[in-house]
Amino acid sequence: MADFDKLFEQFKTAAEAVSAQVYRVKDLNEAGSLLSTLVEEDGAKKLAAASSPMVDKCLNTANLNIEVKTDDLRKNAEDADFGLSELDMAVAEIGSLQQDCTDLNKRLVSMLPHTHVAIVRTDSLVANLLEAMAKIDEIKDNIPGYMAFITGPSRTADIERVLTIGVHGPVKLKVIFVDNPGGDSNE
Amino acid sequence: MSNRIRAKINKALNDDNLRGALGRFANDYLGSRAKAYKGRNFEDLRDIIAERKNCSAQKMEELAQQFKKNAEARGAKVFIAKTAEDAKKYILDVALANKVEMVVKSKSMASEEIHLNKLLQENGITAAETDLGEWIIQLAGQTPSHMVMPAIHMTRDEVADYFSKETNQNLSPDIPQLVQVARQELREKFLTAGMGISGANAAVAETGTLAIVTNEGNARLTTTLPPIHVALVGMEKLVEKFTDVGSVLECLPRSATGQQLTSYVTMITGANPTNLSDGTVGTKDMHIVLMDNGRTQMRDDEKFNQALQCIRCASCLNVCPIFALVGGHVYGDVYTGGIGTILTAFFNDFDDAGELQNLCIGCERCKEVCPGKIDIPGLILELRNRVTAKQGMPTSQKFLLNTVLPNRKLFHSMLKVGSKTQKPFVSDNKIRHLPLFLAGMTEGRSLPALAETPLRDQLYRLAKPKKSKAKIGFFGGCLVDFVYPELGKAANKVLKNMDMEMVYPLEQACCGVPAGHLGATDAHRKMAKQNIEAFEKANVDYVVTVCPTCTSSLKHEFVELLKDDPAWADRAEKFADNVFDFVEFVAKNTNDGKDLGLKSIKESVTYHDSCHLRRHLGVIEEPRNLIKEGGMELKELQWPDRCCGFGGSYSIRYPELSQPIMDAKLEDITNTGAETLSTACPGCMMQIGGGLDNKKSSINVKHVVELLADRLTD
Repeated sequence: MADFDKLFEQFKTAAEAVSAQVYRVKDLNEAGSLLSTLVEEDGAKKLAAASSPMVDKCLNTANLNIEVKTDDLRKNAEDADFGLSELDMAVAEIGSLQQDCTDLNKRLVSMLPHTHVAIVRTDSLVANLLEAMAKIDEIKDNIPGYMAFITGPSRTADIERVLTIGVHGPVKLKVIFVDNPGGDSNE
Repeated sequence: MSNRIRAKINKALNDDNLRGALGRFANDYLGSRAKAYKGRNFEDLRDIIAERKNCSAQKMEELAQQFKKNAEARGAKVFIAKTAEDAKKYILDVALANKVEMVVKSKSMASEEIHLNKLLQENGITAAETDLGEWIIQLAGQTPSHMVMPAIHMTRDEVADYFSKETNQNLSPDIPQLVQVARQELREKFLTAGMGISGANAAVAETGTLAIVTNEGNARLTTTLPPIHVALVGMEKLVEKFTDVGSVLECLPRSATGQQLTSYVTMITGANPTNLSDGTVGTKDMHIVLMDNGRTQMRDDEKFNQALQCIRCASCLNVCPIFALVGGHVYGDVYTGGIGTILTAFFNDFDDAGELQNLCIGCERCKEVCPGKIDIPGLILELRNRVTAKQGMPTSQKFLLNTVLPNRKLFHSMLKVGSKTQKPFVSDNKIRHLPLFLAGMTEGRSLPALAETPLRDQLYRLAKPKKSKAKIGFFGGCLVDFVYPELGKAANKVLKNMDMEMVYPLEQACCGVPAGHLGATDAHRKMAKQNIEAFEKANVDYVVTVCPTCTSSLKHEFVELLKDDPAWADRAEKFADNVFDFVEFVAKNTNDGKDLGLKSIKESVTYHDSCHLRRHLGVIEEPRNLIKEGGMELKELQWPDRCCGFGGSYSIRYPELSQPIMDAKLEDITNTGAETLSTACPGCMMQIGGGLDNKKSSINVKHVVELLADRLTD
């Protein structure tokens, strides 16, 4: 059994070094209340979410007094402040997240809003990129149509090589690790 | 070199913004690259990439068919384009058939290669570049100056001006604000464009998957929002297996920008859900154009096929001393730098590339950092050979290379005449001014005067050991023989202290590098034979030189030149086995100098790595160990392995490039506060010594062999 505490710490250090914020919660109830806090702190007015088991549970327990949209996301993600989606794997060494985002909604909410909140299982952590690639390689005969590795918010250094966070994709990336998502958890 | 390129060079050299940005980047890059690779074995990683990419290149057509089959099974349409024209026609037809008015593009060098934007615009289709750097240069009507950072040559003020004009606002040169303006302006375009065009960093044959590496998120939007996606992919991007993408990802961001991974890696297989133009969700109209355009021709070329191992990280540009001075515009409008010259020759214009190859100074730093293990300087030399073969060589140069260099006596007598006529210009044994046409040679640098008596005429005075353990053939080379004979004498002193006898076969000729590097392969080969014969006759145990350029010609290039000649191949191999650079030879045979019995004499010394000694011959620690063994304090340069700007005849052909490189070296040397600059190459000595003299510096310049000889008794 992998040492997820250690992998999480590694992830956190690496992801924070590329300007992501990293959180860890016990279950989806806690994830919900953390989401409420993050929304409140930010002053966000609208959240667009790509429905998935973890996202749905999280939204159910969150106490959000803002506009929450899960449909017609091409329109609704564009002017949302927050986008919420579930990610499939986390790569500890380099602070990257991996997602099967063949589902268009997952792409829209992780690309268009100002802030992307990513929920991911703690036990999905793998040590490094090659390990993640090897896992995907196992399903290559049925490889997802659209996959992404996401490492921090979007960035550029195209003007005078000055690092600037937030170009075409999200300006902020907040990652919530969930230890025990319930139901099918291994723990 | 044509006046056109010369003019571009001068323009670049006078552009302070460009010089500043490139210079700062050249320094910062090395640190961030090293940090990103920390804990990884770069050599192992690049072995894998070179092997995987080479294996894929060998079966490019087969992989293209496999990719096509797999991607089409997942709903994409795949078109294999033989030429740039085929690719352009296909893409234009898709756009016209779908009445596309605006295209959003994420960065694609392949589309630059075929000048796709121009074609679209001519047909009334707006093509908006969405990579920030590409958008900036598009608004400015310019071309990229760097493959990864297209607008590195521009300042925030210039960007603010172009953005202000584009958006009818008065924007201040505040970078975060400018980036936000780009986000807003381009977001609108993403949402309304009828087609997205992207490139790809890898195309996996076994799955039909495209992998795209970006930081800004524009490729994700380009491939997601518009209902049509066209990916234009050079066939060299094809890899056999999905796991090959992992190998590329281990190096590409680290080498390109010093990142462990870019913000986004997108992997697309087939046609995916998208919002159609009526707003409903449907399946994307997905097109993939696999473009040949010279790539299979490159693959079929036994010398150049390794260039297909390029992953377009541009690290060869980032470490190139010439690129750091002039930037990309000098190299033309698509692929820049050393690798760009090679790609241009096959994908765009052989004659352009033929001219550009002259810019390479041959320092080989690029070869050291290339994740594809491409011998970029070697390929540039090969390009030079082919240009020479195609265009011929000027008669005067031919006479010099074919007649004078192999004939030591003739060369010598010509130089003797030269050394007499140079008298009026010599003071303190340095040439300070030369008449008119040679004036460029002394720009910013004094040249050493030719020796009164060349080494070959001083041999009778050389002392011999009482008992000889081995007979060493000394190869002088032009600079030692005629300019620095004292280095030969110092070598003799050191060898004598090692109980070895040094002999100097008089039939030896030039090492042939000046000829070889001008594309005169036949002349080089002729000198190889003459030298091998001379040393065979002398019946020596080893051959040593104090010039690393000569060493690498004798040890490596002779073998290569003669490998297809049955009468000579074995002789060249046997000869090469016993050739050593002097410093390496001494370190090896004296336990890093410990057995030499050096007197400890205090001296603060800094050391400059000659490009050829360090990178051709891999001799790095030996000279440093010898210096320390001689009781000297070694004060390292900040950038010991950076070229001094000599590059043989380069410094004469392009003084305007050679000099600023030398100036940076001189500054680094001066900053150490050392009394003596040591190096193990007479060419570097001539360049650096001349530069220091010109600046009236009191720093001594000594070859490592001299430092050793100073600490030995006769």
